[in-house]
Amino acid sequence: MNTTYVPADYLPILIQMGLALGFIVTTMLVTHAIGPKRHSVKKDDPFECGIPVQGDARTPISIKYFLIAILFVLFDVEVIFLYPWAVNFKGLGMTGFIEMVLFMGLLLAGFFYIIRKGVLKWE
Amino acid sequence: MLTLALILFPALTACLLLLTNSGTTRQLAFGAALIETALAIYAFSTFTPNATSQFGFDYPWIPSLGIRLSAGIDGISLLLTLLTGILVPLIVLSTFNRAYERPGTFYALMLFMQSALMGVFTARDGFLFYFFFEAALIPIYFLAAMWGGANRIPVTFKFFIYTIFGSLFMLLALVYLYYQTPATTGSAHSSAIVDFYKLKLSASAQGWVFWAFFIAFAIKMPVFPFHTWQPDTYVESPTPATMLLAGIMLKMGIYGLIRFILPVTPIGIETWGQTAIILSVIGIVYGSIIAIRQRDMKRLIAYSSFSHVGLMAAGVFSQTETGLQGALIQMLAHGVNVVGLFFVADVIYSRTDTRQLDQLGGITRTTPKLTVYFMIIMLGSVALPLTNGFIGEFLLLHGVYSYNHYLGLAAGFTIIFGAVYLLRMFQKAMFGPTTARTESFADLTLSESWVFVPLVVLVFWMGVYPQTFMKMTEPAVANLMKYIGTTAISMK
Amino acid sequence: MFPIVLLSVFAVVLLFLGFLKSRSVLLPATLLFLVAALVANFLDWNKTYLYFNSMLRTDNLSMVFTAIVLLSSFLVVALSGSFEDDEAAQPAEYYAIILFSLVGAIMMIGYENLVMLFVGVEILSVAMYILTGSDKRNLRSNEAALKYFLMGAFATGIMLFGMALLYGASGSFTLAGIASYASHAQQGLSLIFYVGLLMLLVGLLFKVSAAPFHFWTPDVYDGAPTIFTAYMSTVVKTAGFAALLHLLAASFTYVYSFWGIILAVVTAITLIAGNVTAVYQNSFKRMMAYSSISHAGYLLIGLAALSAQSRQAIVFYSLAYSIATISAFGVLMLVTRQRGMQTLSSNPLSNESFDAFNGLAKQNPLLGLAMATSMLSLAGIPLTAGFWGKFYMFSTAVERGQIWLLVVAVLMSAVGIYYYFRVIIAMYFRDGATEPIRISPVFRYVLVAAIILTIGLGVAPGLLQGLF
Repeated sequence: MNTTYVPADYLPILIQMGLALGFIVTTMLVTHAIGPKRHSVKKDDPFECGIPVQGDARTPISIKYFLIAILFVLFDVEVIFLYPWAVNFKGLGMTGFIEMVLFMGLLLAGFFYIIRKGVLKWE
Repeated sequence: MLTLALILFPALTACLLLLTNSGTTRQLAFGAALIETALAIYAFSTFTPNATSQFGFDYPWIPSLGIRLSAGIDGISLLLTLLTGILVPLIVLSTFNRAYERPGTFYALMLFMQSALMGVFTARDGFLFYFFFEAALIPIYFLAAMWGGANRIPVTFKFFIYTIFGSLFMLLALVYLYYQTPATTGSAHSSAIVDFYKLKLSASAQGWVFWAFFIAFAIKMPVFPFHTWQPDTYVESPTPATMLLAGIMLKMGIYGLIRFILPVTPIGIETWGQTAIILSVIGIVYGSIIAIRQRDMKRLIAYSSFSHVGLMAAGVFSQTETGLQGALIQMLAHGVNVVGLFFVADVIYSRTDTRQLDQLGGITRTTPKLTVYFMIIMLGSVALPLTNGFIGEFLLLHGVYSYNHYLGLAAGFTIIFGAVYLLRMFQKAMFGPTTARTESFADLTLSESWVFVPLVVLVFWMGVYPQTFMKMTEPAVANLMKYIGTTAISMK
Repeated sequence: MFPIVLLSVFAVVLLFLGFLKSRSVLLPATLLFLVAALVANFLDWNKTYLYFNSMLRTDNLSMVFTAIVLLSSFLVVALSGSFEDDEAAQPAEYYAIILFSLVGAIMMIGYENLVMLFVGVEILSVAMYILTGSDKRNLRSNEAALKYFLMGAFATGIMLFGMALLYGASGSFTLAGIASYASHAQQGLSLIFYVGLLMLLVGLLFKVSAAPFHFWTPDVYDGAPTIFTAYMSTVVKTAGFAALLHLLAASFTYVYSFWGIILAVVTAITLIAGNVTAVYQNSFKRMMAYSSISHAGYLLIGLAALSAQSRQAIVFYSLAYSIATISAFGVLMLVTRQRGMQTLSSNPLSNESFDAFNGLAKQNPLLGLAMATSMLSLAGIPLTAGFWGKFYMFSTAVERGQIWLLVVAVLMSAVGIYYYFRVIIAMYFRDGATEPIRISPVFRYVLVAAIILTIGLGVAPGLLQGLF
């Protein structure tokens, strides 16, 4: 099997990306160009369920949202490690199992830690 | 082993003194210093006058680098260990009429200083020498800066930076020499001073090494134009510290010249020796002239010391046997005289609260003892025959004269000028009408007299029968001269 | 290897110990953990092992560096006093972060693979960003953390780019692989190899705050809580130099002619920038920051020369420097705390100026002695360990024949004496209103130990002989 690739071998991927991008750009341009446009005050206003606009969109949001988002990403990414292990479960055998138990144990310790710290408590 | 005792004993007693802080501290310090004197005199009396190093010890210090804790006494070291041993108890005794704050620390620092000085004068390893050379600086800096006069902080700081700066260059030179020594099996190189003597360096390398050493020692002595730290430091330091500085510490510089520059860089001296000797002679004349103009006793003695040291340096650089011999004898004599003079200044200051010659006068009236002692020591400094100064200065001048007649002549001014400023000081302070400050001048107390007695004995002993001391140094000096000769010739 | 595993576990345990009601158990526990790690470190003594698929290596040199790092952290943690006077502090987290960061430091010491070096640097750096900003209500601490983070991340990026280029040129991430590629230096190496090496060096030099990559140092050291400044200026520096030494000695000796001169120039710039700027500082803490830059310069002498003596020189120097720095910062903490209570001054900076030390030695002889010993050691005066450190450094340069660099170093040492002695002068020769400062027993032990170590190594430098 051929194991060395030259840049030219990646041409199909490039073409596909170009096509995908081209389709989107063309569609947007075309709809923008041929669609009818009628401006009015009401129409140019930001739409908000018919209620008059109030205040700024950039309001402070509780830090809790970020924390939860970050924690989600953290644990989510760690769980990804389970997939390669699962695929090679037989091959890795008992050693792999013990290693994974250790890994999960550490993960759980971290999880327990954030619960005890009260990070997930909302009020 | 005796050397080890000489170095360690003061340091150990100093550690003990740090813990005491009572009225008896000074007696303890004095006792310890006396024991050290006994050791030094014992070493002196049992020393066999030949060129070998005696009473030594030798232990590995940094085995992987071949650096050793190695020290011993040879003819050149002998007089200086004797000087250190004799002067320190006298300096301690001279403080008995003064109460210093925190006496434990004060006397401990003095003994630490003594320990480091003994180390400098006996070290047989280049890095050990450097180690003690710097270690001596720390106690004297603290002594001067903690108990000194009003302007002590900037003055002593200047002194410290100046001397450290100089010795860093010496460190460079030592490291360089170390790497020039042939590597032996087991250890990389050797830092023994005798191994430095065997080196055959190129002329340009010798020039660099010469200057690196010369700057370090010239600052310590000091030689013109590296002397600017000296007068202020002598004046601002408390008198015991000044005595240590002038009496013993500046000998470290001269000792370094003899120990390192002469044998290690003969070609360097051939090239640059004349510059060095001219600088020294400039210092002699310059110091004398300034001394003549001084009104402050302590400052006057400081400049006189600066001038005398110039003569010793010139004698060493003359590379003659008489010059070297003279420098060794004169180191001892100068140490005795300058300590005596500073003590006189201190005695007068403690009674009158002034050192200005204008405000003094007529002290002789009430003080027969002080007058006699002062006069003897002053005449010793003037180098009158039958006193210690005469022998040394005569030999030194002879050495310089045989090197170059004109320089010898210029250096000869030291005696004439010395007579001028010292006699003037003596006359202004002791004779003439009494002033308000000197009216009720009390004569010496018992402890003060006992400081002067040994000094005066030494002044006469060295003046009348210098052979006691000279026969000890002669073999070592001859050996050194042979060494200079052979190295210089073999290089040609 | 053992310390890495142990410290990771201990750090997690510490996090949970933080849930206990009493804070008092944390400090002894951390100290105990550090001692355990130190003991475990020496289990492999006189043996050389490769761990984790040859990613990590333990040999005597790496163990000695690990021991220095652990000893420094032990002293720093002991001086932290459990943060008892600070209600908002979270000691369990701080200690845990310190232990985690040590894992990174040990990786930097023992890596055999550039990836491991990168992971180690990141673990250590991220921990440092957090610790720098740990004084949350202090604006300067926040500023320092953000600055450190931005600059540090940038430097890490450059370093990673360098590694990638090296990989591109040599086809290997392992030190041995790169060395075997570099051994063909005679036939000419690809340009990207040199660029990669340069970028990798820049990244690491940033971490050890060598000029001209030092601009973050004063602000960060100044802004961080003093205890963490002490940690940063010792552990990070030691680990960084261990990493540099290992990198250059193991892989790049063949191209010495390329990087030797670059490092020598960097050394000279670092020495000059650090020392000269330190003279103009009025805050003791800022002075120490610049002094740490200048010491990076002295350590670099050994690297730029890279002779047979270099290992010994760098080991000894980092040890001497670490002990002296920690004890100096320890005294500073006591003094600022005392002054803070006395004056309640509106300007926190004034507590850290040189004047804060005025007359300190009269009422507090131990503090005075500890500070004086460290200053003397940092200035490189004989009788202290710092002198032999400088001595070893200078001899490496003489061995290489870099005399011009030595002359710069000697001149700068003289400059250094100037600012170190300002502290001694303030403590011993100036008058100031000081009452005796209460010193807790732990503090006393640490300071006494630091004094004994500094003077002991200064009198008998051969004591450590067996360790290299």
